[in-house]
Amino acid sequence: MTTRLAVLGIGLFWVAVPVLAHHSFEVEYDPKKPVDAAGVVSKVEWTNPHMRVYVDVTDEKGVVTTWNLELGSPNSVLRRGWTRADLKVGDRISFKAFGGRKVLTRAVADAITLADGRPFTGASGTPTR
Amino acid sequence: MKKLLTALMILGGLTLALLAQVPAPTEGRFGKLGGEFTPLAPPEIASGPVPRLHDGRPDLSGPWVGGGSNNDLEADAGLKPGALDAVLLPWARKLRDSRKEQDEPYLYCTPMSVPRVNPYPWRFVQAYTAHGPTHIFVIHENGDAGANRQIFMDGRPHPEDPLPTWWGHSIGKWEGDTLVIDTVGYNDKFWIDGRGTPHTEQMHTIERWTRINYGTMTNDFTLDDPGAFSRPVQLKFVARAVPPGHELMEFICTENNQYGIAGGITNVYGDKGYGLETPAK
Repeated sequence: MTTRLAVLGIGLFWVAVPVLAHHSFEVEYDPKKPVDAAGVVSKVEWTNPHMRVYVDVTDEKGVVTTWNLELGSPNSVLRRGWTRADLKVGDRISFKAFGGRKVLTRAVADAITLADGRPFTGASGTPTR
Repeated sequence: MKKLLTALMILGGLTLALLAQVPAPTEGRFGKLGGEFTPLAPPEIASGPVPRLHDGRPDLSGPWVGGGSNNDLEADAGLKPGALDAVLLPWARKLRDSRKEQDEPYLYCTPMSVPRVNPYPWRFVQAYTAHGPTHIFVIHENGDAGANRQIFMDGRPHPEDPLPTWWGHSIGKWEGDTLVIDTVGYNDKFWIDGRGTPHTEQMHTIERWTRINYGTMTNDFTLDDPGAFSRPVQLKFVARAVPPGHELMEFICTENNQYGIAGGITNVYGDKGYGLETPAK
């Protein structure tokens, strides 16, 4: 089963249309503001035009900051084979993202690692599920 | 030496033409999880024969990805750099150059219209009524903002003075296996590419869709707008089929559009009412 999924994944990867999201990220997000953090998922929005994952990150002083991570469309994520059960409120995840030019905590996600260690490849990237 | 240079130039030209048709890779791209993903039919399926309906017509249903311009009309159509500028009227070029990427109306969930495409799939619906194959519809997973694009196949003419609309008035006919769609009556509210290339209500388009195998459909596209271009322009786009069994999914753009908030971008269409985004708490 694992092998079959892996082969299917590679096949999709080579022929997928990765492209050109609903909008370009450059005008909204700053590639010079990388974020690397871990926290607890407080909300998951499987909504259009973009899926959003809200993560509560607690710093060393105990201050909690909620990050609003933008992903691709829910359809793109579903087409990768992910379901709501894979990313839930209360899950502890880590993420890499790029902060908003105006609002730093509104960030575009670059990578998410799920509670069980699997990479959540979301809309693009190599499907590894 | 001269022959070698000529060969290299031809090879370079072919490579550029090919690159114009191939989507850019996302690996290494900034904000990777924000991108989109739609699988395409693998080569062994894509190279298969054109499926046909019971009446012998080619089945154009797809679903497809591509077949138009998303970012840059000139590059997406495989034109030489500057070819479009050469025919764009000065006012239109000036307006395009003044437009900012973040002001694209489509980002505020308005219809993308013709010849725009986005990374999401779309399909033709070759519909039948008691009078025969009278209508073809185009439905997009995203990009039509809930508006239906309908193509009248019953031989009617365009109305004499159509009220300009986002998708215009389309009539279609078959020329052999090619579906020819003639559209007038567009409004001037959308951009015809991501660069902000303008058009006017005089825009008249002719799409010639030909499915050449299972996975490929070409769109030979005539763009005629005497209000914005000095002469008609001939463009060519290619649509790719998604794998068999893949369907369109629901996409309601206005559901949770937070575009612009992270970047402090002002919705310049606020007075027109485009965009329903509100900051989340």
